[in-house]
Amino acid sequence: MAVKIDDMYYAYSANDEIASKGEYGGVVTSILKFLLEKGFVDAVVAVEEAADLYDAKPVLITKPEDVIKSAGSIHCGTLNMAKFISKYLDGARDMKIAVTCKPCDAKTIRELMKKGKIIEDNVFMVGVNCGGTLSPIPTMKMIKNEYGLDPAKVVKEEISKGNLIMETEDGEEKGLSIENLEEEGMGRRPNCQRCDMKIPSNADLALGNWGVIGPLQGKATFVEVFSDKGADYLTEVINANIINVEEPLEKGIEIRDKVNTVMLKNSKKQEAADFEGTTGDIIEVFNEYREDLSRCMKCYGCREACPLCYCDDCCLETEGPEWVPGGYTPAAPFFHLTRMVHMVDACTNCGQCEEVCPSEIPVAKIFATVNNKVKNTFGYVSGIEDDTPIPFTQFPDRGNK
Amino acid sequence: MVEIEYVPTICPYCGVGCGLNFVVKDKKIVGVEPWKRHPVNEGKVCPKGNFGYEFINRDDRLKTPLIKENGEFREASWDEALDLVANKLKEVSDEDPNQVGFYACARSPNENIYITQKLARVACGTQNVDHCARICHGPTVAGLATTLGSGAMTNGFDSIEEADFIFCIGSNNMEAHPLFGRKIIRAKQNGAKLVVADPRYTPTAKLADVYLEFKTGTDVALLNGMMKLIIDEDLQDDEFIEKRTKGYEDLKKVVSNYDMDTVAEIAEIDKDKLIDITLDYAKADKAAIVYSLGITEHSHGADNVMCTANLAMLTGNIGRLGTGVNPLRGQNNVQGACDMGALPSDYAGYRKVADQETTDWINNYYGTNLPATPGLTLVEMMNAAHAGDLKVLYIHGEDPVLSDADITHTKECLANLEMLIVQELFMTDTAAVADVVLPAAGWGEQEGTFTNGERRVQVLRKAQDPPGDAMLDWKIMEEIAVRMGVPREKFHYESAEEIFDEIREVAPVFAGMNRERLERPEALHWPCPSEDDPCEPLMHKDKFAHPDGLGVFMPQEHKGPVETPDAEYPLLLTTTRILFHYHAAMTRRCKTLDNEVKTGFIEINTKDADKLNILDKEIVKASSRRGEIEIPARVTDDIKEGIVNIPMHFSECAANMLTNSDSMDPKSKMVELKACAIKVEKME
Repeated sequence: MAVKIDDMYYAYSANDEIASKGEYGGVVTSILKFLLEKGFVDAVVAVEEAADLYDAKPVLITKPEDVIKSAGSIHCGTLNMAKFISKYLDGARDMKIAVTCKPCDAKTIRELMKKGKIIEDNVFMVGVNCGGTLSPIPTMKMIKNEYGLDPAKVVKEEISKGNLIMETEDGEEKGLSIENLEEEGMGRRPNCQRCDMKIPSNADLALGNWGVIGPLQGKATFVEVFSDKGADYLTEVINANIINVEEPLEKGIEIRDKVNTVMLKNSKKQEAADFEGTTGDIIEVFNEYREDLSRCMKCYGCREACPLCYCDDCCLETEGPEWVPGGYTPAAPFFHLTRMVHMVDACTNCGQCEEVCPSEIPVAKIFATVNNKVKNTFGYVSGIEDDTPIPFTQFPDRGNK
Repeated sequence: MVEIEYVPTICPYCGVGCGLNFVVKDKKIVGVEPWKRHPVNEGKVCPKGNFGYEFINRDDRLKTPLIKENGEFREASWDEALDLVANKLKEVSDEDPNQVGFYACARSPNENIYITQKLARVACGTQNVDHCARICHGPTVAGLATTLGSGAMTNGFDSIEEADFIFCIGSNNMEAHPLFGRKIIRAKQNGAKLVVADPRYTPTAKLADVYLEFKTGTDVALLNGMMKLIIDEDLQDDEFIEKRTKGYEDLKKVVSNYDMDTVAEIAEIDKDKLIDITLDYAKADKAAIVYSLGITEHSHGADNVMCTANLAMLTGNIGRLGTGVNPLRGQNNVQGACDMGALPSDYAGYRKVADQETTDWINNYYGTNLPATPGLTLVEMMNAAHAGDLKVLYIHGEDPVLSDADITHTKECLANLEMLIVQELFMTDTAAVADVVLPAAGWGEQEGTFTNGERRVQVLRKAQDPPGDAMLDWKIMEEIAVRMGVPREKFHYESAEEIFDEIREVAPVFAGMNRERLERPEALHWPCPSEDDPCEPLMHKDKFAHPDGLGVFMPQEHKGPVETPDAEYPLLLTTTRILFHYHAAMTRRCKTLDNEVKTGFIEINTKDADKLNILDKEIVKASSRRGEIEIPARVTDDIKEGIVNIPMHFSECAANMLTNSDSMDPKSKMVELKACAIKVEKME
């Protein structure tokens, strides 16, 4: 059997242990394990549960038998895997890796590939659908206060039909309207609420449970193929009888599409609310958020967390001229302005900057507002593999050659 | 193939106790990444959290024991160094245990600190063990224990987010405790009103709804004035006073002399502002007091502390979320260092040395013959060395040459010892004047626990091996104890966890802390008397920690600083910490932090600078009756006229060359680090 781009399947692991530990048939785990076993990749980069369900850590797995540890999904896994690859794995310069990625991970990896910071040939992106992630501590507080449940007893969370559902070890299930929660400042991270990609079509494969109906509901994963590499590797996996695949039901494809469309529509609504009252002009945005920015304690956390801030020698630390004088807080407005000029065209709305900010500055929102203007002005959509030149890196070719 | 691992741990700088992940690449720490699951900081950290790991694998880490001969250090084997130290300690303590003294390390895990005090008490038979809390939050421990019955922060950090009104005095938490500062920001976003009283218009003051400028060292007058007004306006909480406190009549009498005009004159404040602040505090449903070293580092530090407790009790603002007296503890484990009994008056868990029954229990447990007489405090040990009464001082990871008042005096004291032993990571100013230097494992290289300012006991994890021959502190001390003749089984532990189990036996407030409970990111707050106790952070809910359950009003009269400005030394010097540095031995060795702030400075008001014809960044001479330094000026409107400030981290222009060690608080043995008279001059 030979898989092609745009193919779709219902898939489930042929290995019972993996099928039961992994969610929805354990397909992600099976693929990763196979690639590592057969030497298609040297290592797998995935997310593992650390202290508990709310604690996600990235792991570099080199032994096939360890892949199973990363099975299962973790909604509090608000990491950006691109940063891990570029900062600690030298952009996969000397190794072939497979990496599980949410859409924002995949987008950021794509941006870094364009800039030569991650080596495209060495990275296989196993995309997973994502309706949004939740920061651990606020989520635990929400579970306690809003759901009246003990966070330690929750074994699974799920977003379904507009509800955020918590399931406890005693089998108790409780759902609350995600819209209501988010109106009260809870729920998904603010950047997730306006995220414009739920199915990572920029990865090599995209997997998820949306659209799996009929007899395989809950037992299989919906797989869509987006690249030749994705098609080739999936062919290998299927032919080795590692996973079983079936044609998806027509109705299932429709449902998956509908889930995606509804979520994107809600994101559009949130985006409109977030960007309301500003043209996205950089000066205007800085003026609007002056009060917030004036709290900056210059921890450099946004720079450290930003996967697209990668200069070896950062001009925020140069001795002169002192645009951002050393040792003074709040940091001079130039701090954020400088960072913005460097990477706002590539910003993928991954939200890392805001999540680590100790001064409660809506950093991601500020950057997303300006990025939106870049997108509208130059037609450049960050994180997507196409031929549009990166606005602040290249001028468009006039075609005179 | 490269190996990468995330190892969760706790930050080693301030008392907030943020969690973070070490990134360990091929068994070496190469970075830190957010630990978003951590309940205190949720993955957010300050500059020190982000870059404070950079010192760990520096080449200048101490890797081998050093012995000084003819004024020069030479490398030595562990056997030689340990024998030398053990023999000297034995010889001198056999003669008289009061001739030896120990400084425990408030940066170190609880387990190391516990073993330090055990080495002092068990191997040397002395109660002379103390640590830098003495010159940090010693007044808090003394002042709050007297009034509330327990010397610790009354509420958890999160509690502040529920406050309606926050009165922050002498705490620049946006720099000194930044992730607590974040909770203040959140409290404000929840609608709380924030008032900051400080002689400096700090980054914290800049967040405030109301900023009250006042003169350094006049806190008692200011707080008494507030209490008088509250009583005059009949805004005190009569029911609370009646049911939960004693001594109210005394308080009323003392504060009655502090009318607003008097206070305005003493504290040089805007009277109307203070009236408004007072009425708002008294009328708020949930009002919290936040303070830090601005309150404690005075010759009347304990008085200041007691006044904050008086104010909270007067208005019933204690024992509920959103209220309380919230001292922000300085170092990462200074709370733990007090808890572990590195105090000359207390065994672990604040069991009193002076209580014969307790000392009998301890003597029975340790197999010792300790007297029920408290030993010398940190400052007293120095003075005893000066007088020749203390002959050997064992300093575990502290740097008093830089951080104690009056460096010249400190150096004289240390030079007068027969032997100074320093156990360290780096060649600090103090290690440089030692006779023996013992290289120890540092942060990231050992297991153990830190206790943060809200009494949360948090587990640390080892991420890499220590460099060279550096050893775990508690193993170094085991070897010394054994060489001094203590049976090994009394000092031998297989792990830090085993030490903690012993602590649970000695100190009942930790009894309920089993490993499984401690290992969760939430960890546990003390008091934790039993394994089924929820160990939550809020204290004094229904009763205070005194035996009769009542809080005690301890009214105080205003005394002011020991040394006040005069014609010769016309400026009042205060000392502070800055956001980018902490323990200089560590932060100044972090490339990014050093790059941010490379040296010290003296903050001086624009008008004072004009009078002296001093420009911003100009190197000036600052001098006091103790000494003089050369230091760049930072000319600013953000400090009160007549007051100057020097951050304490920088030895080349050390604030403590100028400060006054002859200014002891009788109640807490604090010295006045935050007020002395100096002059500033243009260089020749």
